[in-house]
Amino acid sequence: MTAAPPAVDSAPGSGTRRRVTFPVAGMFCAACAARIQRQLALTPGVRDAAVNFATTKATVELGDARFEDVAAAVREAGYDVGTDVLTVAVAGLRFASGVARLEAAIAAVPGVTEAVANQAAETVRVTYVPGFFDARDLEAAVAAEGFTLAAPVAEGDPVERERRVREQEVRELSWKLALAAAVAIVSMVASMPLMGGAAIRHTDLLARLVMPLDASLRQALPWLYALDPQALKVGLFVLTLPVVLWAGRVFYRGAWRGFQHRSADMNTLIAVGTASAMLYSVAATFVPGLFTGAGLPADVYYEAVSSIIALILLGRLMEARAKGRTSEAMRRLLGLAPKTARVFRDGVEVVVPAAEVAVGDLFLVRPGEKIPVDGIVRTGRTAVNESMLTGEAMPVEKGEGDEVVGAALNTTGAIMVEATRVGRDTALAQIIRLVEEAQGSRAPVQRLADRIAGIFVPVVIAVAIAAFVVWFDTGPQPALLYATVVFVSVLIISCPCAMGLATPTAIMVGTGRGAERGVLAKGGVALEATASLDVMVLDKTGTITEGRPAVTDIVLVPVAAGDDGQDAAAEEAAVLRVAAAVERLSEHPIGAAIVREAAERGIEIPEAQDFGAREGRGATAAVGAHHVAVGSAAFLIDQGVDVGPFTDAIDTLAARARTPVLVAVDGMPVGLLGLADPIKPTAIAAVRTLKLLGLKVVMVTGDVRKVAIAVAGEVGIDEVESGMLPAAKVAFVKRLQAAGRRVAMVGDGINDAPALAAADVGLAIGTGTDVALDAADIALMSGDLRAAVTAVELARATMRTIRQNLFWAFGYNVVGIPIAAGVLFPVAGVLLSPVLASAAMAFSSVAVVSNSLRLRRFTPSFAT
Amino acid sequence: MTTSKLLVTLVGAAAIVWVLWYFLAAPRRPGAERARPRT
Repeated sequence: MTAAPPAVDSAPGSGTRRRVTFPVAGMFCAACAARIQRQLALTPGVRDAAVNFATTKATVELGDARFEDVAAAVREAGYDVGTDVLTVAVAGLRFASGVARLEAAIAAVPGVTEAVANQAAETVRVTYVPGFFDARDLEAAVAAEGFTLAAPVAEGDPVERERRVREQEVRELSWKLALAAAVAIVSMVASMPLMGGAAIRHTDLLARLVMPLDASLRQALPWLYALDPQALKVGLFVLTLPVVLWAGRVFYRGAWRGFQHRSADMNTLIAVGTASAMLYSVAATFVPGLFTGAGLPADVYYEAVSSIIALILLGRLMEARAKGRTSEAMRRLLGLAPKTARVFRDGVEVVVPAAEVAVGDLFLVRPGEKIPVDGIVRTGRTAVNESMLTGEAMPVEKGEGDEVVGAALNTTGAIMVEATRVGRDTALAQIIRLVEEAQGSRAPVQRLADRIAGIFVPVVIAVAIAAFVVWFDTGPQPALLYATVVFVSVLIISCPCAMGLATPTAIMVGTGRGAERGVLAKGGVALEATASLDVMVLDKTGTITEGRPAVTDIVLVPVAAGDDGQDAAAEEAAVLRVAAAVERLSEHPIGAAIVREAAERGIEIPEAQDFGAREGRGATAAVGAHHVAVGSAAFLIDQGVDVGPFTDAIDTLAARARTPVLVAVDGMPVGLLGLADPIKPTAIAAVRTLKLLGLKVVMVTGDVRKVAIAVAGEVGIDEVESGMLPAAKVAFVKRLQAAGRRVAMVGDGINDAPALAAADVGLAIGTGTDVALDAADIALMSGDLRAAVTAVELARATMRTIRQNLFWAFGYNVVGIPIAAGVLFPVAGVLLSPVLASAAMAFSSVAVVSNSLRLRRFTPSFAT
Repeated sequence: MTTSKLLVTLVGAAAIVWVLWYFLAAPRRPGAERARPRT
């Protein structure tokens, strides 16, 4: 009964593992991600690599490459793998001699970069790369050296780890921003007296705005205006130096790293822009003769340097905060699992951390508590709310032998559960892994954005140089100053970062929101394809219908059925009782449906003897003193039963696509059961909405035409393909595709798997525990067809957001760069100051991320 | 056109050509071409 752990990801460290997601340190921009990805793809033994700038994580599909190869590739690209630290307690370390050996053994564990033992504290500090590291390898390495761990290692809580990384990033940015902003404000005030004769103040938008301040400042701080201008310049230089060297260091370092690899990104623009302004100012401060000799004022732009760095850091800070929120859905998923379990050890109830529950452990779940891990109910009955996994709000009845999933909420009764899947094998852990991979994937639409971002920066530098030359040659005096201002502004205003963030942030928020709604998209590709579908092909069995036959009609012998409803109910119960007694011994699905119906009506099923079955036709047995026959009309006629009284009823049932099953006692027909695979109650609304979304809905089934048409008619589908084997379904999907249609296939993921794979988008419908996730592009965690509607709506909302983001990002640059280059100057006589340019630039990234965050409020038509 | 303007024009043009060549046209390290990032 125990389900085998699904093969989404085999045991880590075993050599069979294929996909690994790990953090990358030092990534600043989308261009960095592309560079690392290129380097990883070049590494022998790496089959595929995707690097996501928004999550700062890389996902690699490993062939025979080892951790060291991957780490070397990341370092070769100029970055480093992100590490985390774990402290493990080792028993008896204080008095042991082989400490160096233990350190070496731990350091040799795959994914571990450093191990430092502390004998006094009896701990080892392990630095490791999340994703490559598995706590079990560490435990094995420690054991192999003859030591024992004082407590089991739980790989650092991912929620906590994520939060710590974000917090550190935000803290560091905040400090740098504080310094840069303080210096910028002081510099602006101190620069006022220096700006007295500057020609540019009449054309610079910002200077015009602050000009009135000049007069009031002169009254408020007369001593400032009395200072020696040269001393003031040197003072500004001293103030600005730490801003450039500390707060802005990331930009220069990133630009230099990019330059070495012949790639340019936003760091290049910021670095070249601020460095130009800085060098100009330094020259004007210390060798003013260079300018005055040529008849130029020796103006300084220190305040611009600090303000630009401050504003861009502010943008980064807001971006870091917003990016933290994009992974909120993931955090919510991770937070679903309870932290502790009530496990029975030697018959005693003990509360242990959920991570310590082992397969086979028996644990108790009280009403109102969450189930810690996946398992099978051994005793007790209850209703379980699995909405966090399936999106379905209705609690599901669970009794002995039923599977329950971890993180589900136990509502009504106490149950004793035997653990079947723990740790990274649980349904929740797999979902989290899928979401993580999906969020790290790239959508095809991003290819265009990546390509443009790659050539964007060199082109902007070229435009900036051209603008400099044009202003120097044809602009008003002092030409060098104007030309420099324009050069810096063009570099600063252009923002490839907004382009880089447009797609990944939307995909992250979209997939996260989908996961909350029970729609698991396996990545950007799946979402993009789902947004542009034409045809949705629905499998009948299991998708539109429940997937198992049920008793839908009971017809009694016309004379026996009295007018009294009570009598009729009693008669029906009697018929079901004998039929179920016979069928309980049969293995046929129709028999199971009859037994289930009897059980659901609370009928006590008597024992039957002398069971005999005729394959596919019927069965007979002795129930008490009576001989009972259950089966098709032909079977009962063979048994010498006169089915005459039911002839009309049989025809009526057959016309409604019901399977007629006759019941006879001692050679006399007593009742007729109609069986059918009932339609899911929500299927009708789902089909209607899919049509409203502009999709053509087609039903395919292996069933006979008559049944297919009856079902299709009931749910409102006009086009039906019946009698189809799996291969025929694939051919049908391919035929539609050949006609230029973009086709989605919705199926229950087992017999439909070939068609799911053949379709542009395969949607597997099912429950959270069934991992048919592998075959499909999108997994619908509930069995509700309305989730397919949610998937389409979510995909469209996500793609709409991406298009808005790209439009905004490109449009911003298309408008901003010419303004910075001074095209408005001949017309309106205004120029954009570098400070305003940097504010606009910071704003564009924040706008894109905020727009993606709006997806968090996405609400589907159906609150499944 | 003064000498300084001519000089700035020539240096600017050369700089543009070099920037575009260095970042876009210059051959990357061997093998980089076939390693198109898979999206």
